[in-house]
Amino acid sequence: MANTACFIIVSRNDIPIYEAEVGSAMKKEEAAQQHQFILHAALDIVEDLAWTTSAMFLKAVDKFNDLVVSVYVTAGHILTTILLNPLYLPGSRITSSHFDTKVRALARKYL
Amino acid sequence: MEPDVSIETGSMIRIAVLPVGGSIPHPRLRSYVEMLGRHTRIDLSSISSFYSEHQKSPFTHQPWETGSLRFKFMLGGAPPSAWEDFQSCRKILAVIGLCHCPASPDLDLVADQFATACKAYTSALAKRCFAFFPTDSQLEEGDNKRENILLFPPSDQKTQEFHMLTMMQDLAASLLMEFEKWVLRAESAGTILKTPLDSQSSLGSEEFIKAKKRRLARAQKTIGDYCMLAGSPIDANAHYSTAIELARLTGDIFWHAGAMEGSVCALLLEEGDNKRENILLFPPSDQKTQEFHMLTMMQDLAASLLMEFEKWVLRAESAGTILKTPLDSQSSLGSEEFIKAKKRRLARAQKTIGDYCMLAGSPIDANAHYSTAIELARLTGDIFWHAGAMEGSVCALLVDRMDHKDPLLEEEVKYRYYNVIQLYRRSYLQDNAQRRELAKEVVDLLMSAADGGKSLIDASDRLILYVEIARLFGTLGYQRKAAFFSRQVAQLYLQQDNACAAMSAMQVLTMTSNAYHVQSRRNSQKMCPSPQFPVKVTKAFVSRDFSLMMHFRLHSFPLHPSQTDIIKRNPQKKEWWTGSAPSGPFIYTPFSKGAISDCNKQELTWIVGEPVQVFVELANPCSFDLMVESIYLSVHSGNFDAFPVSVSLPPNTSKVILLSGIPTKVGAVSIPGCIVHCFGVITEHLFRDVDNLLLGASQGLVLSDPFRCCGSTKPKNMSAPNISVVPPLPLLVSHVVGGNGSTILYEGEIRDIWTSLTNAGTVPIEQAHIALSGKNQDSVISIAHDVLLSSLPLKPGGEVTIPVTVKAWQLSLTDSEFDASKSSSGSARRISKEGSSPLLVIYYAGPWTSPDESNGSGNSVPPGRRLVVPLNVCVLQGLRFVRARLLSMEFPARVSEALPKQIYGENGTTEELKSVNQNDSLVKIDPYRGSWGLRLLELELSNPTDVVFEVNVSMQLDSQQSEHGMANFSNEDIDFGYRKTRIDRDYSARVLIPMEHFKLPVLDASFFSKDAQVNNLLGNKFSSTAERNAKAELNASINNLISKIKVKWHSGRNSSGELNIKDATQAALQASIMDILLPDPLTFGFRLGENGTASENIVSPEESSISDNPPGQPGSRNVARAKGSVLAHEMTRMEVIIRNNTKERIKMSLNVSCRDVAGENCIEGNKATVLWAGTLSDISLEAPPLQDITHSFALYFLVPGDYTLLAAAVINDATDVLRARAKSDSSDEPIFCRGSPFHVHVVGTA
Repeated sequence: MANTACFIIVSRNDIPIYEAEVGSAMKKEEAAQQHQFILHAALDIVEDLAWTTSAMFLKAVDKFNDLVVSVYVTAGHILTTILLNPLYLPGSRITSSHFDTKVRALARKYL
Repeated sequence: MEPDVSIETGSMIRIAVLPVGGSIPHPRLRSYVEMLGRHTRIDLSSISSFYSEHQKSPFTHQPWETGSLRFKFMLGGAPPSAWEDFQSCRKILAVIGLCHCPASPDLDLVADQFATACKAYTSALAKRCFAFFPTDSQLEEGDNKRENILLFPPSDQKTQEFHMLTMMQDLAASLLMEFEKWVLRAESAGTILKTPLDSQSSLGSEEFIKAKKRRLARAQKTIGDYCMLAGSPIDANAHYSTAIELARLTGDIFWHAGAMEGSVCALLLEEGDNKRENILLFPPSDQKTQEFHMLTMMQDLAASLLMEFEKWVLRAESAGTILKTPLDSQSSLGSEEFIKAKKRRLARAQKTIGDYCMLAGSPIDANAHYSTAIELARLTGDIFWHAGAMEGSVCALLVDRMDHKDPLLEEEVKYRYYNVIQLYRRSYLQDNAQRRELAKEVVDLLMSAADGGKSLIDASDRLILYVEIARLFGTLGYQRKAAFFSRQVAQLYLQQDNACAAMSAMQVLTMTSNAYHVQSRRNSQKMCPSPQFPVKVTKAFVSRDFSLMMHFRLHSFPLHPSQTDIIKRNPQKKEWWTGSAPSGPFIYTPFSKGAISDCNKQELTWIVGEPVQVFVELANPCSFDLMVESIYLSVHSGNFDAFPVSVSLPPNTSKVILLSGIPTKVGAVSIPGCIVHCFGVITEHLFRDVDNLLLGASQGLVLSDPFRCCGSTKPKNMSAPNISVVPPLPLLVSHVVGGNGSTILYEGEIRDIWTSLTNAGTVPIEQAHIALSGKNQDSVISIAHDVLLSSLPLKPGGEVTIPVTVKAWQLSLTDSEFDASKSSSGSARRISKEGSSPLLVIYYAGPWTSPDESNGSGNSVPPGRRLVVPLNVCVLQGLRFVRARLLSMEFPARVSEALPKQIYGENGTTEELKSVNQNDSLVKIDPYRGSWGLRLLELELSNPTDVVFEVNVSMQLDSQQSEHGMANFSNEDIDFGYRKTRIDRDYSARVLIPMEHFKLPVLDASFFSKDAQVNNLLGNKFSSTAERNAKAELNASINNLISKIKVKWHSGRNSSGELNIKDATQAALQASIMDILLPDPLTFGFRLGENGTASENIVSPEESSISDNPPGQPGSRNVARAKGSVLAHEMTRMEVIIRNNTKERIKMSLNVSCRDVAGENCIEGNKATVLWAGTLSDISLEAPPLQDITHSFALYFLVPGDYTLLAAAVINDATDVLRARAKSDSSDEPIFCRGSPFHVHVVGTA
C-alpha cells in the first residue's frame, strides 16, 4: 500500500498545473481519482494552516484512511515547488517533459 | 361574440371608419386606411400638448409617461351592439370619415353626409372627417367653418403621415377629455345600465329595489371600463374592485363576471405598461441621429441614477441599514456580537454612503464620509471595513486630484495603500484566527471519526457517519472537505443497488458540483487551458451521474412549416412544382400538431441563414426539480449556431422542448446530442445513449424506461435524419393588407382581399405561381395572376400586393358552428368554423442556377418553395333562405279585338318585347291579357343578422332563343323594375320571381330527344341508364334556369353579394320544370271577329285602363261600350285562334264551349242562354307547324253577364314528343289539349 504516491502542483484557485501518479499502485481508475479527491479535500486544511505558520513545508496536514497528505507552500501560495522557468506563465499548466522525468526519478528514489 | 376578441379588447377604443363623399378609388381608400391603421396605439405622453384639464381628472393614476390609448378601427362602421352598456369598449366611441376630395367637390355636401352618417353612432364622442387632396378652392373655403372636416393638403407621404399622426393625437386627447367628462357625470348622476338579459325579467317591486341597488355596481364597472379605455389600468382596477364587491353583494352575477373580466384586462395592461417602461425605441435614422439619441438616453440614464443615489443616501442616513460581508455570515451572532454589530453599523453605513458619493461623482463628499467611517470602524474594531473605507478614501483622493500630477500625492497614495493592505491582511488573519480556534479541534475530531469509519463493517453505518462529517465540514466552511465526504456518501449510495439510493446519490452529488467546478471536456479543451482541480475525475464521474439524472431523446424534426416548404424543381416542366413531394390533398391543416411526421428515413434540407427547430424530449426521473440553466443542440460540423434555452423540469416529468439554431454554411449537419448546463456542470448528452437505454428497457435489461415512467407517451424511436444545408433560397412572407384578423363576410358577400407578399430572403424570386387548395376553393372568384407575374423578378425586400376576389361560401351544417354568444334576437347565429377558408398556395423559386455555386456542380437545380396563405375569411350567416315555393296563378283573359300578347310570339319584335317588359314590371295583371298558368317562384328570406339587407332580383336572359329565330335578347340583366326589397333585422320577406320568361317558344323534340328514345324506342334494358340521362338532362335545364335568376343583396355601404338559391329552388322546381320551360303543343286564343259588333275604334292600351269602366255605367265618350265588352241580343262574331307550337303538323278535333258564371254549359241543353252559328264541336282542323289557324263562329247572348269561353282539342295521331309532353304512358291514350279560359263580358238589358 505504501508504494503509491500522487504528486500534484496546484496553483491558486485550486487549478492543478502539474500532476504525476507515481508508484506501482493498482491502476484502477477509481483509485487514481480517489487520490485527486483526497488531495483536493486537503486544500481546506492547508489554506488554514498556511496563514498560521511561516514554514513552507507543512508536513502531514491531512489523511484519509491510509493515505497521508503533505504539502509544500511557496511564497506565492503555489503549493509545492516549481522550477524556475523564464517562459512560464503563472497559472498555466506545466508541460515540460524534462520536469516530469525528474519528478518521477526522484519519486523512485524514495518509494 | 366577435372573431377577434382578446383580453386586451377591453382597452381598445372602437372607432368607426367610414368613407364619405364621392366614391373613393380602391387603391386610394386602401392607402388612407393603411395610414390610419398605423395609429392603433397613441402614447399618452404624446398627447399632452393637445390635452387640457378642465376639471380635476378622475383618472388619478393615469400613467402619463408610459400609458397609451389603443384604437380599434372598424372599417365601414359597425351596428350598435345590445351589450354596449355592459362593456363600454363595444361602443363606437369615435367616427372618422375618409373623404377623397377630387371625388367629392362639394365639401358642404360631404359635411352633411358625414353628419348623417354620424347620427347612426349615438355613442360617438368625437367625430372627424379627414379630407385628402383638397383642391385649392376647397382649401380656401374649407378653413372657415367646418370644424369636423380636416383637410390634408396634398404633399409628400411623410408630411401626410405626420399630419395624420397629429390628427390622431388630437383625437386621442379629445377622447380622453370626453371620457373624463363621462366618468365625472356618471359618478355624480348615476345611470341605469342594462343588458339584454335584464329586459327579459320583469321588474316587480322587489326587482325594482334590487335594480336600484345594482345600479351602483354597474356604474362602477362602467367607470372602470372607461378608465381602461383612457389607458389608466390602475384606476380601472380600483373601480372594478368596487364593482366586484358591490355586484357580489347584490347578486348581480353577470356584472360581477363582467367586472372581473375587466380587472383581468386591467392587470394585463398594467403589466404591459410596466414592461414597456424600460424599452426605449430608437427609430430608424442615420448614424448621427442615432448616436445623438443614444447620447441623450445615456444622459437620461445618468441623471436618473444620480437621483436614485441621492435617494439611497438620504434613506440610509435616516434609517440605517445592516450591511454584511461573507466574512460576517460565518460568525454566529452571540449577544456580545450583536452589540458589536450595532456599533459597527454606523461605520459601515458611512462607508457605503461614501461609496455612493464616489459613484455619484462627488469625491469631496465621499472623502468626508470615508473619514467618519474610518474613525468609527477603528473604534469598533471592524478591521475589514476600516480597510475598505481607507481604500475608498484613496480612490476619492485620486479622483479629486485627477488633473494635477503631484509626487506628494503619489507618496500619499502609496502610503495609504500600504495601510489598506496591512488592514486587509489583519482582518483576514483575525477572522481566520477566530475560525481556527473553533475549527481546529473540530477538524481533528472529525478526522479521527473518519479514520474510525474504515473499521465500520456495515456500509450504511459508514454512510451515516460520512453524512454527518460532510455536514459538519460544510458548517465550518470547509467546502472541499464537505464535497469530498459527500462524494464518499454518494459512492456508498451507489453501492446499494436501488433507485432511491441512486437518486439520493445524485442529489448529494449536485451539492458537490460547486466545490469541484465541474466542466465538460469539450469546453475545457476550447476555453479553459487549465481545467480545475480534479476535473478529469469528476467529469467522468459526475457527468455519468448526470446522464442518469436527465434523459434526452430526439423527439422530432418539425418539417418546414407550410410557410417555407421546399419544393423540388423539375427543370423539364413548365409547371416545375408538379410531381414533387410532398403533395396530396392535405397540404396544410392549420391545426395539425406542428406537422410532425416520423422522420425515420427522412432527408432534411436546411437553408443557410434560416432558423430551424428540433424537438427534443427531456425526462427527469429524479424526485427533485431539475433546473437546466441552458440547453442547446450540440453540432460538431461547425456550420450551425445553436441557441440555448433554459428549462425547469418538475420531478418525474418529461417535456418536449424546442431547440433552435441557424445553419451558417452549406454542407451536412449531424446532431448527435445536446449540451446541457445544469447545476454548474456542462455535459454533452448523446441521443445514442438513450437509444441504448431504451433498447435495454425493451429487452428487460434495464429496469424502466425513464420516459415512460415520467408520463411520456409511447416510446418513439427516432433516428436522426440526414440533414444537408443548402445555399440561401428566396423566402416569401405574406400579410393581409388591413390587418391579419379574419375578414368577416356575410354568406354570398363578394369582397376583394389584398394580400401583400414580400421577399424576405436574399435571393430574387424569378418564378411564381398561385394555386388554390383547402376547403371552399370555389369561393375564390378571381386571383390577379398577372399582378404577380408582372412583379417578377421580385428582388430581396420587394413587395407585391395581389387582390383576390372572394365570394363568401354558404354555411353548411358541417363546416359551421353556432356563435358562442347569442345574438340580440336570442337565437343562435351560425358562423363558419375556423379552418374552412380556402388557401392560396404560392409556388416560387429563385434563378435556375444558384449565384455562389461556382464550383461547377451545376447539375443540381436550386429547389423552389411553397408558401401557403390561408385566406382568413370568417363567414357569418347572412340572409337566410327559408324556402322556395312555386305558385301558380290563373286569371282568365278577356275577349277583345286582339289576342293577348305572347311573350315569345313569332312576330315579336324587340320593341314589342321591350314594351312587354315594361308591362311586366311589377307583376300586375292586365285583364285583357290574363295570365293563365302563370307561375311565380316565391323565395322566402329571413334576416337573422343585425344589419339591414336589401334584395334585388334580376334575370339574366341569354340569347339562346335567337337560335330559333325568336327573341333576341342582349345578355345583360333585365331589371324588372322591382323595387328593392328591404329586410330589416329579425324580419323575413318574400320575393316573387315570374317564371314566364323562361318558356321556350317551340315545343321541340330536342328537349325530349333522350326522353323519347327512352320511352318508346329502347326496351327496358337500357331504360335505367337512359332514365339517368333524362334526369341529368332535366337537372341541367333546371340549373340553367336557376343560373339566370340572380338574387343580389346589399347591406350597408360596402357589403354586397349574391344569395345562393340554387339548391332550394331546384327542389321547388323539380316537379314542374317541364311546365315552366315547355310551351303547350297548342295554344288557344279568342278574339272578336273582324266585322263583329264590337267597338270599331281600336283602343290603345293606355286608354284601356281609363275605359275599363264598370258595366252599366258607360263613359261619356261616344264609344259607349268598354273595349272587349259584348252587347246582348246581338250577333257577335268570334274567332278562335289555334297556334301550333311544334315543328310537326297537328291534326285535331276542336271543341268550343261557353259557360256562364255558374259554370253551366249555356250553349247546349234546354236552358241554353246563348245561341250560336257555325260549328262549335268536333271541328276537324289541321295546324301547320309553328303557325296559327283560325276558326270563326258567331254567338248571340240572350242574357247580359259574364261568360267564359273555353277551347279544347283532341290531338289525333300524337307524336312521341306530344306524348312525352303530356306525360302519357300508353300510346293509345288520346292526347287532350285545353286552352286557357277567356272571359266575355256581355252588357245590355235582358
